[in-house]
Amino acid sequence: MANPDAARTAAQGSDMLIEFNEVVARFGSLHAMGPTTLSVRRGEFLAIVGPSGCGKSTLLNMVAGTLNPSSGSVLYNGKKVDGPNSDVGYITQKNYCVPWRTVEGNVRMPLELRGMARGEMDERVRFALAQVGLTGFEKAYPKQLSGGMLQRVMIARTLAYGPHVYLMDEPFGSLDAQLRMRMHAKLLDLWQQTGATFVFVTHDLQEAITLADRVVVMSRRPGRPKLIVDIDLPRGRDVVDIQADPAFGAYVKQLWHALDLH
Amino acid sequence: MSGTAQRETVSFWTSLHTGKYFDSLIQLTIAVVTLLLWEWGSNALKAEFWISRPSSVAVELMRWARSGDLASDLRLTLMEAGVGFLIGSIAGALVGFTLGWVERLGKLLEPFVLSLYTLPKIALAPLFVLWFGIGPMNKIMFSAMLVFFMVFFTTFQGTRQVDRDLVANARMLGANRWAIWTKIAIPYAAIWVFTGIRIGLPYALIGAIVGEFVAADAGVGFRIKEATSFFNTAAVFAGLVVLMVISMILLGLLKLIEMRALRWQTASGIIEPEVTP
Ligand SMILES: Nc1ncnc2c1ncn2[C@@H]1O[C@H](COP(=O)(O)OP(=O)(O)O)[C@@H](O)[C@H]1O
Ligand SMILES: [Mg+2]
Repeated sequence: MANPDAARTAAQGSDMLIEFNEVVARFGSLHAMGPTTLSVRRGEFLAIVGPSGCGKSTLLNMVAGTLNPSSGSVLYNGKKVDGPNSDVGYITQKNYCVPWRTVEGNVRMPLELRGMARGEMDERVRFALAQVGLTGFEKAYPKQLSGGMLQRVMIARTLAYGPHVYLMDEPFGSLDAQLRMRMHAKLLDLWQQTGATFVFVTHDLQEAITLADRVVVMSRRPGRPKLIVDIDLPRGRDVVDIQADPAFGAYVKQLWHALDLH
Repeated sequence: MSGTAQRETVSFWTSLHTGKYFDSLIQLTIAVVTLLLWEWGSNALKAEFWISRPSSVAVELMRWARSGDLASDLRLTLMEAGVGFLIGSIAGALVGFTLGWVERLGKLLEPFVLSLYTLPKIALAPLFVLWFGIGPMNKIMFSAMLVFFMVFFTTFQGTRQVDRDLVANARMLGANRWAIWTKIAIPYAAIWVFTGIRIGLPYALIGAIVGEFVAADAGVGFRIKEATSFFNTAAVFAGLVVLMVISMILLGLLKLIEMRALRWQTASGIIEPEVTP
């Protein structure tokens, strides 16, 4: 989208952009996740599914640098993550819109922080809001918006600055089915145009298969990858047609069993 | 023709019952009845010595105004309260923000803050006479001290509740230390400073008045105290009326400022999109 070269300029060194090495998350006496060893390839669309509480958000937090592993290490671009990672765009489950800024002001914030010129900022904000269907709501305050709309503000805010990596934590959970399908199509376009890397957490298997190159199924807590499936469906996918593909149904079945049998 | 007229009458009465007019009418009635009851009760119970009566209070107000003392007393008391308010709220906001934002500092000083919190600050009035004499400086500092604690406690408690995840999120969006301060910390603290100021504003006046009670030779508080010692109840009430009017004006002003500065809090109504993209 905004900067198609994003992933290419970042493309240096190894083929792996994100590497989890024997990563464990403990919260007090709770062994929440791991040991997990998993790599995310540069430019790939990776989906993670798993029962709730298995540590999916925890994995993303570690890439974003807002949480340190209790043991093991997380490498981003070959370097150990320590501290907030401003290379990633993280669409969290919890919304982090600042309440004193309007919708537009929230989307603008990362651009201001990057010292972007005014004209380009305006252009990007307008474009990003249009992408998530929030044109016309620029002047509204977060307090006035529903959960689904706040989620879209967060998505727009990330789109606007075009990061190398998109970490998305159940981003479409609060959208209705139709809007979700449209967002899938937009997301695939975005992925194809930017070549950015996506790590997408969901518990909707259809969603995972529609979007991803690979789907990781996590076990129950303490969560660790129990199955990784390559989704061999042709690219240039149509979010509606793909569901009619017999292979699609087979993937659903395979993933469902992996999730179900503990 | 008559049909239209009738409908208009009906809508006039409905609007009277449901609208703002009706409420204001009730409020006005309550005020007038209270004044009448006061006037009447004072006569009937022969209680003028204790509770005076509205007509005497009005006469006393007029006399106070004509002598020119009302203007100079007001000017003095408002100056004391105003300067005290400024000093107190600025200092309170700064200290409260610093201790609230710097987690470690706040934790370290928490027991001291708590012990100050429980102290009835009014009890310090005599000490302030010792420190600052009996002139306006004493009242300014006393009023500043009361406001300081109000603004400080509120800002401190509010600012330390800042969601640390929100800060981490902003850093991920590319905020450096400076940007965290200007774009997150300060706007966030502003909410609490405002709340503190709203709570603290009446204390500016309380500080000035109490200071004048303790030791003074002019000011609204001084007049009230003087009138009491001469058993001039009407003049005491005249003083109270003046104070009431001042604080209502101040609160109105604050509301106005707040509505402009914190529009994001006062903005109301849930907006739902009707069409999806
Ligand atoms: N900051 C935290 N403090 C304590 N427990 C946490 C924290 N973050 C996550 N957990 C716990 O770790 C487990 C995994 O959490 P999470 O990664 O959010 O799961 P999910 O797969 O549903 O996203 C959960 O049981 C959760 O309660
Ligand atoms: Mg989660």
